[in-house]
Amino acid sequence: METVLEVAGLYKSFSLPGSRRKVQAVNGVSFTLKRGETLALVGESGSGKTTVGRCVLGLEEPTRGRVLFRGEELSRRNNVRRPHLRGRIQLVFQEPAESLDPRMRIGASIEEPLKALGMPASERAGRVEAVIRRVNLPAAVLDHYRTSLSAGQQQRVGIARAIVTDPAVVVLDEPTSALDPTARAEIIDLLLEIQKATDTSYLLISHDLSAVHYISHRIAVMYLGMIVEQGPAAEVFRRPRHPYTVGLLSSVLLPDPEIRRPTTVSLKGEIPSPIDLPKACFLAGRCPFATEICRRSMPPSEEIAPGHLVHCYHHEQVAQIDQPSDTFAEFQASAERVLGVDVLGADMDEETPRGRRRWASSTAK
Amino acid sequence: MSNRGLEPERVSGPILQIEDLWVSYRSYGAAPRLALRGVDLAVERGEIVGLVGESGAGKTTLARSIMGVVPPPGALEGGRVCFDGRDLTKVPREDLRKLRGRELAMVVPNPRGELNPLTRVGHQVANIARVHLGLSKAQAKEAALEIFKAVSIPDPERRYRAYPHELSGGMAQRVVIAMALVCSPRFVISDDATSGLDVTVQAQVLELLRALVRDKGSAMLYITRDIGVAAHFCDRIAILYEGEVVEAADKSMLFTDPKHPYTNMLMAAFAQNPDLRRRWHLGRPTRFAEAGRPGQRCSYAGRCVKARPSCVEVRPELRALRPDHLVRCLYPVER
Repeated sequence: METVLEVAGLYKSFSLPGSRRKVQAVNGVSFTLKRGETLALVGESGSGKTTVGRCVLGLEEPTRGRVLFRGEELSRRNNVRRPHLRGRIQLVFQEPAESLDPRMRIGASIEEPLKALGMPASERAGRVEAVIRRVNLPAAVLDHYRTSLSAGQQQRVGIARAIVTDPAVVVLDEPTSALDPTARAEIIDLLLEIQKATDTSYLLISHDLSAVHYISHRIAVMYLGMIVEQGPAAEVFRRPRHPYTVGLLSSVLLPDPEIRRPTTVSLKGEIPSPIDLPKACFLAGRCPFATEICRRSMPPSEEIAPGHLVHCYHHEQVAQIDQPSDTFAEFQASAERVLGVDVLGADMDEETPRGRRRWASSTAK
Repeated sequence: MSNRGLEPERVSGPILQIEDLWVSYRSYGAAPRLALRGVDLAVERGEIVGLVGESGAGKTTLARSIMGVVPPPGALEGGRVCFDGRDLTKVPREDLRKLRGRELAMVVPNPRGELNPLTRVGHQVANIARVHLGLSKAQAKEAALEIFKAVSIPDPERRYRAYPHELSGGMAQRVVIAMALVCSPRFVISDDATSGLDVTVQAQVLELLRALVRDKGSAMLYITRDIGVAAHFCDRIAILYEGEVVEAADKSMLFTDPKHPYTNMLMAAFAQNPDLRRRWHLGRPTRFAEAGRPGQRCSYAGRCVKARPSCVEVRPELRALRPDHLVRCLYPVER
């Protein structure tokens, strides 16, 4: 399949005012994104996920490395603002409320990218109406303002605005983290639906592993600006080989108290500051597997299975203790058992059902 | 085990018992909006009870009602909040002030907003110990350092002198937890206090809260919108929907046999199976969305897959289907 996006050896650092020290936000990130594929960048806050997304969009100039869109290098001069690239790479923001202008009607907000493309007004109206239907909102919403919509509806509008230009790549920056569980599930379903219909590629930036498991084909786990493990989603979730990935997966809590990864790695402390990083493994200070070599030099990237890359000296040791298990798949089975009951059961027909009689007797005590 | 939610006035009864609590927010030119509608909830000593609900369900209003600090224009319309046998809604202001921080403590999200940016965090924690426990300056510092160690703040001496902006989010959250726990309160409310943390840090903080609750024999109300975290962290769970407790049960029962359709829907929202989610009517309104009179119908009927005409004729009571499993539904799910 066609590669739409390639990021090669990306570095990005920011200078600190009044100091010669640098914030090393991204430290050598490489990945590719194929047409119709979803790649998830997962990691905790401060891991550099968002900075990678901004470099892809051309909102930040990489310090080193290249971003190629369909083989064409993006840079400060040749970026998403250029007419032939405009609207081809789009962004969905984390906070739907903050990304919509409160004084603009929803229709006008969605139309704005089309104006930037120079599309005639006669075509724009049709496009806007089609896209609002695509995100399952009634056309009446177009005349509303942001404030009359729920958070889930606002995020639908955010998605509509991103896909209205028919982009090849959509960067989704934490699209579900500000939402309630039900709205979150709806947004995930919507994103899948859109991808199926349009073959759009998603770069999903998220720490919501449950959403990632659901919609990603491949995942890249980031820690302090590095991809420490990368591979097919099913493989990485089932057989994580980097201690950090195992730690991350053991922190996943699903609504079944019995489901927990059998092997856990507890990471001490928290992500250190990305200023003046050591020339060794960044996780060494928190990792229970760390040895002398981890504190001396940076582990190389090793391909341990097709497409499964790990940066760790001790991945074989992790492999020895880790029992393959996919908590999400386990929860899926348990959910089907518990929730797969016949909702519209036999007692649906009678209007004075057992339930009501029982209720009447319990209140008459 | 007896029917904890309904049975009042036992001598060594629950540490916190909320009975038929109603809270409304008034506004000019409109009918008051009921944020809590007859909430019944009990928390036993040594127990962690989870309160799960979506935004707008009334979780924070409930937490603030327990502390006696419902923000205006909110007003208590009725009901009791009994803490260790005393009705907090009738306790004089001054006594309540002494109770808060000493016996009852609350951990809120957004730790940086909670801390005074101009005061060293150690002093903020020590001050609470001085005020409530009457400790001397030196003793209070010692108490603060001790609680810093207990909540796993590395290098406590240095962090004691830090200002809030010098701490990371996870560290600031620990300071706020330390503030809540420094007087060894008998009851702690955590209002979405760990949701802003990264998952690996959240795992550490939950571990810590559980250990502290157990060691000090306190009890805790853990408020969250994440039913997944509640499943692993709490002993018993109550589900709040539009100001009503719709289901309350021991966690082993709640997750193997959820009775209220709303609870089923919340769990289905985590499942990666669209059929399962469709089965529980995720987010779509039903034909009963506008039917009946507010307050005299099931509040969930408008979204419920099992809704029938009788659901909008009468407000269901919270009733015990079996010991320790309460549900507010006329047609609980049968398995």
